[in-house]
Amino acid sequence: MMAKYTIFAALVVILGLAAPAAGQAQDIDVEKVFKFYCAQCHGVGGKGDGPNVTENFPVSPRNFTNPEEMNKLTNADIKNVVMDGGPAMSKSPMMPPWGKTLSEAEVDALIGYLRVLCNCKGKEG
Amino acid sequence: MKRISALAVALAIALWALPGHADPAAGEAAFKASDCTACHYTDGPAKEKTIDDQLAKKGPELWYAGSKFQKEWLQAWLQDPAPIRQMKFNSVTEANPGDHPKLAAADAANVSDFLMGLTSDAVEAGVVKPKKNAKGRLIFTKKMPCSGCHQYEGRKKKLMGGRSGPSLVGVGKRLNPDWIYAYLLTPEIFKPVKAMPVFVGLLSEKDMKNVASYVANFK
Repeated sequence: MMAKYTIFAALVVILGLAAPAAGQAQDIDVEKVFKFYCAQCHGVGGKGDGPNVTENFPVSPRNFTNPEEMNKLTNADIKNVVMDGGPAMSKSPMMPPWGKTLSEAEVDALIGYLRVLCNCKGKEG
Repeated sequence: MKRISALAVALAIALWALPGHADPAAGEAAFKASDCTACHYTDGPAKEKTIDDQLAKKGPELWYAGSKFQKEWLQAWLQDPAPIRQMKFNSVTEANPGDHPKLAAADAANVSDFLMGLTSDAVEAGVVKPKKNAKGRLIFTKKMPCSGCHQYEGRKKKLMGGRSGPSLVGVGKRLNPDWIYAYLLTPEIFKPVKAMPVFVGLLSEKDMKNVASYVANFK
């Protein structure tokens, strides 16, 4: 009987410790984050057609709905470029470094969102 | 002595009555009567904590307007408010309808006087001098993504840059150079939640001054 209580108590403690981390991830409305920060260039649907993409825009922002293009990237590649900007992956500085703006949890959530948009898993890495 | 006092009073009244004279209290009253408070808040510090807080706003916060704007520009703009943003405030899908209300000259003078009295201690005066700052230009046009979102005039006055951020065409007449630097240095004070990246830790304070100096030179 005592052993049962001990196991139960241990489970409560473990779940209690795990809950805040899971809660933080669930609190992120990733679609809202995407539309607020990313859609300016990548468009609300992620097709690379945001309002900044005029005839003068020097590069074509990535179309996240293109699985062929998105499959060339690992999740680590995406995280790298979101956190540190285009130059971190030898790409254009038009892709801003968001590492001082977004939390790591938000960036991780965004990567998951992009994988939904492309309906692809990405390159393994 | 009485004559001198009477003369002084008459002179004070005459100066007060000059067309250029403005009254901050009357400006605050006009600001409220014109329903400006429906879109702009004037009591700081910043209230936004979440994206929803930011998106709930219909116009920019003005609690530090006196540190941000130049009075001459503000007074003129309130009478003829040409859009500063190409996109509607807080939107990435709708163009700016250009429907900001206009104020009559007397109200514009009073309201600009009221707004210029709203300042922030975070803006230190006399730090940034506008000039053709080569380092600032390099950062703005090449190293950082500033031009991706902000419109500006390139060579031969060609309009360049993006549409999601406020236009920087002629910004040297609109913004206080010291505010541009303070905004880059301590964005959390002015706009805690914004679609522009935070550059603290990415640009040195010296380079922030270079960018502010370059941008403040856009005439």
